[in-house]
Formats: sequence, C-alpha cells, structure tokens
Amino acid sequence: MIRIEEFLIRARLERHSLEAWVAAGWLVPPQTEPELMFSDIDLARAQLIRDLRDDLGVNDEGVSVILHLLDQMHGLRRTMRDLVDEMRASGPKTGG
Amino acid sequence: MSEDPYAVLGVKPQATQDEIRTAYRALAKKLHPDLNPGDKRAEERFKQVSAAYDILGDADKRARFDRGEIDASGNERPRERYYRDFHGPDAEQHAYSDASGYADFMDEDILKDLFGRAGRGEGRFRMRGQDALYRLPVEFLEAVNGATKRITLPDGGTLDVVLPAGTRDKQVLRLRGKGGAGLGGGPPGDALVEIEVAPHKIFTRQGDDIHVELPISLPEAVLGAKLDVPTPSGPVRMTVPKGANTGRVLRLRGKGVPRGDKSSGDEYVTLKIVLPEQLDPEIEEFAQRWQAGKDHDPRRHLEG
Repeated sequence: MIRIEEFLIRARLERHSLEAWVAAGWLVPPQTEPELMFSDIDLARAQLIRDLRDDLGVNDEGVSVILHLLDQMHGLRRTMRDLVDEMRASGPKTGG
Repeated sequence: MSEDPYAVLGVKPQATQDEIRTAYRALAKKLHPDLNPGDKRAEERFKQVSAAYDILGDADKRARFDRGEIDASGNERPRERYYRDFHGPDAEQHAYSDASGYADFMDEDILKDLFGRAGRGEGRFRMRGQDALYRLPVEFLEAVNGATKRITLPDGGTLDVVLPAGTRDKQVLRLRGKGGAGLGGGPPGDALVEIEVAPHKIFTRQGDDIHVELPISLPEAVLGAKLDVPTPSGPVRMTVPKGANTGRVLRLRGKGVPRGDKSSGDEYVTLKIVLPEQLDPEIEEFAQRWQAGKDHDPRRHLEG
C-alpha cells in the first residue's frame, strides 16, 4: 500500500489533480477510511492517465471513455484467455 | 538506443517544436503499450519514440543534441510498470476489473456451457461479492503511533492493513475489493477490519489525549524537579514545580494522540507522591517535631 504523499511523488502528480481523479472515479483507491491508501495498480493507472492527458492530448471526457473501454478490453482478454485455457484442458490430447 | 531521434519520429532536422510534438503524439497514440495490451513490439517501438521525444521535445535538450553534447541513448525514461501489466494471466480481481464485455454472449448456450465449465459462468447473474469482516487486535502504541499489520486469512492468504496513527478502539478500516469474489463478473466485496486496541500498562486514552500517572518522591514534590516522563513517542523532560502535590495535573502539549490534520492531542500527567517502603528514622523524627504540619488539616473540606 502506498501513502498519498509517496503516491504523488511516484506518479509525479499534484494533490489537487489526484483528488479530482479520485472524485471522477478514474482512480479507486483500495483503502479510503480513515485515509487514502493506494496500490501499485493505482500507480500504473495514474501514469496511464497522465500519459493520456499530457502526452497524447486526450481531454477529460476522452480519458473517461478510454479508461472504460480499456477496462472492458482487459475483461474480454481475460475471458478469452480462460476460454483458451479451458479448451486446451478439455480438448483431445495431441501427440503420443 | 542509438537511432537518430529525428528518424525515429519521422521528422526533418529542421522541424519546428510543434511539428515534433504532433509527430510524437501521432506515434504515441498508435504505440502506447496500454493501448496495445497484446502487442509486445509496440512497447519496444514506444520506448524508442519516447526516448527520441525526450530529447527532441525539449528545445534545450534538442539544441544540446544537435551540438553533439548528448547522444541519442542518454535519456531513456524509466517506467515502473504499465497498467496493462496488472491484467496478465495471474492478475487478481481488482476495483477496475470489468467483465461486462461478453455479457450479451451469455445467451448463447455453447458459451454458457463453456464459461460454466471454466468456473466463472454464473450465467447472466451478476452480483457484487460479500463484504468480509475481520477483527484485528493491536497494541496500544501501534494504534497511537500507526503500524502496518498483516492478517492471515482462513484460506491461507494474507491481507496487509495500514493502521494510521491515532486509530481508535473499535474503529473499522475498509479495504476496497478485498472481500469475497463477485459472481458472474460482479466486483468483489470489501474487507472490513475492526480494530481492537489492547490496554496499556501505564497510558490511558481519552479521545485524543493521553493520561498517565507519575509517581514522585517526597523531596521531588517539596523541592521541585526536572523528570523524564513517558509519552507514546518516547520520554519527555518535564519540570515538576516546587510544592507539587499528589493529584496535581500537568499538561504536555502535543504529546497525545496524532490527529489526521498533523496536530496532536495532549498528554496529562497526574502526580502521585510515594513515600519509601522503609520509613527513614530521620523523616519520622522530623514529622514528630513539625508543628505546622500537625496543624494542617487535609480533611477540612470533607465535612458534610
């Protein structure tokens, strides 16, 4: 778990940006009470959001859409991976 | 990475900063690893493009590169992990997991069958996981000063809990997504951890204040003294005034329990005069002939 001060440094973020991102639902810190705590995945996601806004010129509405689609895509990829694993496990044995 | 950064970005050496930024954005949109989770080559290309832009995107650095002061390899930006790296085959469920992408496919019998056998197909039924309740006993000073604790779960897993400084007894910490798994792609529940603070040998706590009883000797009480007083953050030197009595309360400002806003409560020190176990003949003799002491009636206020 990462405290907010360390998170701001590692993500190279200003506090008010972070608070806005949490309020927008872009980041969902795993511990909220009695103080915010972040995980490594939050850090990677914050860096992605920063890339989108600062480097790729995506505006705030665009960030929400991209995050939503990306999360769905990761869900799809996971389901597909499970499906492939399942088919491999139950399919006919090849070779010897 | 020693390729010419101009070639990597596909711009002419005399390109303006605007043209360079536009070229970088166009490439980054195509190559960003998080936008290409399945493509390993995209990451390599993106690294080259980022490194090139690190040099050319900054007019000063670009000028130094043009003058030959830095080479094309000097400035690769280190990156901890990409977001996509948390979605690999072994990734756990987390707050961002979204399994709604194939929800409509669940109508198809063949997929329902497959997903059912894959162990995650509760049909179209989607439900958030249950909250899990835990009780975590902690030491008094861990609660006051803050600590990191690890809970071992019934299934053998572990859960790290960060106890903030100033945690109260019976306080509940919420760890999002650490509860029971969701059904049919629903999000996991939360872990609710109730903190049980053990009592301390010498400290008691009232709100954000700490109370402690400090035994002092008769000479210290009569003559005054500078004494080391225990506080949750270590001993603090305190002045006991001349003539201090049992029951007198002294305050150590800011030596109590830390609050969320960086301030702290106070510590209240209650003095208690303690005579030696073995009474000294000298003090006995003194008490015998001390007339003013005998005239003093400490119980004069007790009369009903």
